[in-house]
Amino acid sequence: MLLVIAYTRPARQTLRNVRRAHENSVVRSFGRAVLFEATEFAAFQALRLRARHGEAVQVERTHPFNEFASVPESVRQAAKRYEAREQDAVPYHRFANDTDLPDPDSMKGAELGTDRYYTPRE
Amino acid sequence: MASPIITLAVGSLARHGRALRLGRAVDPAVVCAAVRQADPVALGGTELAIEAPTPGSVHEFVGCIHPGMGLRIRTALAQAGRSRGLSTPHDETLDDLRAALAKLDPPQSDTADHRHAVAEATAETGRLRERVATARGRVAAQENDDDGSDRERLADAIQELSEVETREAATRERLARERSDRRRRRDRLERRLELEDRIANLERAARSHLVDHLREEFTRAVAQVPSIEPAPSHTDEPGPFDVDPVTAALAIARIGDLSAPIVLACDRFVSPQAAHECLRSPIIQV
Repeated sequence: MLLVIAYTRPARQTLRNVRRAHENSVVRSFGRAVLFEATEFAAFQALRLRARHGEAVQVERTHPFNEFASVPESVRQAAKRYEAREQDAVPYHRFANDTDLPDPDSMKGAELGTDRYYTPRE
Repeated sequence: MASPIITLAVGSLARHGRALRLGRAVDPAVVCAAVRQADPVALGGTELAIEAPTPGSVHEFVGCIHPGMGLRIRTALAQAGRSRGLSTPHDETLDDLRAALAKLDPPQSDTADHRHAVAEATAETGRLRERVATARGRVAAQENDDDGSDRERLADAIQELSEVETREAATRERLARERSDRRRRRDRLERRLELEDRIANLERAARSHLVDHLREEFTRAVAQVPSIEPAPSHTDEPGPFDVDPVTAALAIARIGDLSAPIVLACDRFVSPQAAHECLRSPIIQV
């Protein structure tokens, strides 16, 4: 999908107008950001906005997020086990200490892969 | 407040007074332009010059009153309050926020250069990455060549690999720099937008404060200016602001301090003098 964000009042107004005029292309909208369907028409609208407002319009392409495809097993396990912890007040870095769970810094240093962790179920 | 004497000159014929009539059919907008600017305006083969105090901001709303005019009544009424020196509890914060906004760097109007730089660096990085891979392949192929007969070609391949790698790293750095610059510029835009939104909200609050303060006075003024009979109602539930634009403009002109003359192109008053007495401002009747 295309995420379009407005950074000035005029850009926000034009984005609102586009959102209202082409509701069918809009997946969701939040304040001054709109998520458009990934179509050439939506790209056309996004480019039109950028042609008019320049850098005051940010356009990003989003990808669906599937943790089974793009996140290593260790990270998935970490999330599950941390949310199932018994003591609410324990911060993650302490929870992960002395376990086989990944520490926050190593996760911060590892860029998220695209679909490289996918292993079909047996 | 004594309203000032104005001078109205058509060609070389000048008249002075507080309630003047322009003895010919002219576009009121042209006369209003002559009120608002120091230079004379062209008027049917001659020139019209008006000497009067500089109009304040409420003049923009009710400085030219004619049938068919539109009027944002609440905004105009708030400006009339301002023209009399009324203040609101929001003014101090508004001043601070406006000062903070003025201190921000102005947004760059044309950032196409930056976008080109990012696009170029992105494309270049991709190209160079491929060349690095190719060069690496060539080095590997030469090394695996057991007889070692072609050491020169291996050296060449290593040399090229190192050059391309250096360029790739430099381009990647440039790309990272361009991207972080862009993020900073957008951070600044975001800060500006936040201030602008807060200012707009406070301006709305200040306006309703002034309107609330002047509501009763406005209702009285509407009764004191000549209106058309019967007054048409625009809604089922008539409120103080449910009046036609001309009546509202006359009432607001009576409340506010315009100092500059009002250009009147309606026939509500028997004479310019009567209009002057009712509206307490200099009048130019057309």
